[in-house]
Amino acid sequence: MAKKHSALEVLVLSSGLLLGVFLGSVPVSAQRAPSANYESDKKVKLSGIVTRIDWVNPSAFVTVNVKDSTGIISNWAVEVGNPLDLQKDGWKATSVHIGDMVTVEGIPARGPRRQALATSVVLARTGAKVFVVSNKKAAKVASQPVPRWPDGHPRLGPPPGKKGYWGPPSSTVLVENTGVAIPMNRDGLLANILDADKVAPFQPWAKAVYEYRQRTLFKDDPYNRCIPPGGARHFQSPYGFQFIEQPTIGRILLLLGGGDRNWRIIYTDGRPIGHKDELVQTYYGASTGHWEGDTLVVDTVGFNEKFWFTNGGLPHTEALHLTERFTRSDLNTLKYQVTVDDPQTYTRTWTGGWNIQWVPDEEIQEYFCEENAESTFIR
Amino acid sequence: MRRRAFLPGCLLMGLGLIVPGFGQQGHPLTGTWNGDFGPSPTQRTQLTIVMTWDGKEVKGTINPGPDSAPATVFLDVLNWTVRIEADMKDSSGKPPHVVAEGKLEDIGAYHRTISGTWRQGTTNGTFKLTRD
Repeated sequence: MAKKHSALEVLVLSSGLLLGVFLGSVPVSAQRAPSANYESDKKVKLSGIVTRIDWVNPSAFVTVNVKDSTGIISNWAVEVGNPLDLQKDGWKATSVHIGDMVTVEGIPARGPRRQALATSVVLARTGAKVFVVSNKKAAKVASQPVPRWPDGHPRLGPPPGKKGYWGPPSSTVLVENTGVAIPMNRDGLLANILDADKVAPFQPWAKAVYEYRQRTLFKDDPYNRCIPPGGARHFQSPYGFQFIEQPTIGRILLLLGGGDRNWRIIYTDGRPIGHKDELVQTYYGASTGHWEGDTLVVDTVGFNEKFWFTNGGLPHTEALHLTERFTRSDLNTLKYQVTVDDPQTYTRTWTGGWNIQWVPDEEIQEYFCEENAESTFIR
Repeated sequence: MRRRAFLPGCLLMGLGLIVPGFGQQGHPLTGTWNGDFGPSPTQRTQLTIVMTWDGKEVKGTINPGPDSAPATVFLDVLNWTVRIEADMKDSSGKPPHVVAEGKLEDIGAYHRTISGTWRQGTTNGTFKLTRD
């Protein structure tokens, strides 16, 4: 690539830059895992004229015409982040204009594509860095009590007269809750493949598939192609979700902000969970729920095998049965615990989980994975 | 005319790009596999094998239907090699023993393949299967 585009300053960082550390510095919420698409151990620097701005989900792109020393122009697609994240920091599609000169530093895409994931974009006419995402966390608010329904059950949505939704998870990976720290990046890519055994109690075939997905940097991840993030994975999205509780008709709707902006129905009317052989296998399965004290316990079966149920590439089969426990410990915190029971994939049941933060006074923002199909599938 | 052909062509190209994303992601052998076997490139016999994983073993059914034959299937996950053994019915109704040994390729793809050697009775040949 450097030879073909000789004016481009492609710096190979061969001195052991840790993958997880490097990818940790880029916006975390792109639909596609950066590990799968970009060469994290390389850097690229480009200077050129902006020719197009695609301000769409899952990633905004700025295309730049870069002229080399012989006058040959090549067109580069520069991924600058997710529009929702960028907008939170005040950036808009109009923050740069077609015809502007920019200097981009970033990570080049794998393969021959002229594409980069920006770590810095500097606008020549002002000298300012643009499209900087702070990934800042919501300001800590004083702990407030759990809002409750008249019958005493916790309200999983906003308090009466307020708005809000469940947003960023405290972890974007699922590992067995054993208390052992397993170094991996936000995509679930292990720093050391020998740690695979610590992630979950895999059957031999499942461990082999997991390691294959790790070694191939998640190139086959269905989520990369906007396949729904079923199972526990939709709670790993930063774009949030919302409970719509309908006790009078015995169900809770889960509106999902990430992935395909989809929904789940959790029946709380006492119906049996059903048997997987009687169900149409789906991405989100069939869910029933009941309350155990202040915890909503949700059993789900009937999953298909067309998706990965968590970041990191852990496999599953149609035998998958998830038991999710949602506990709102205060206004701002939802404890999420999931027990994985899939005897065709794992040698025993196992449990993991994380916390999810309440985003007050906001609604889930509009996000469609498919919006930038051109950039997602073609480039 | 060219333009008429161009648009469907683009659609097919688009489908070609998207379809692999809908692949089965569970046990890599689960599903219906189609292909052929035979002693030479010109002497081939159509072959269908349906494989299922029950958590303990892979069960195979060769050519589902009235002439189906159960198959035992072994997967070596360290090397992604597959061994299939069965007693198939040939055209004369005899049940020659079949031993096929192949390599599972591109396990993350929807249309993953298994190809290798096929020994049926005393006849040696090759086989190739592609997951439907």
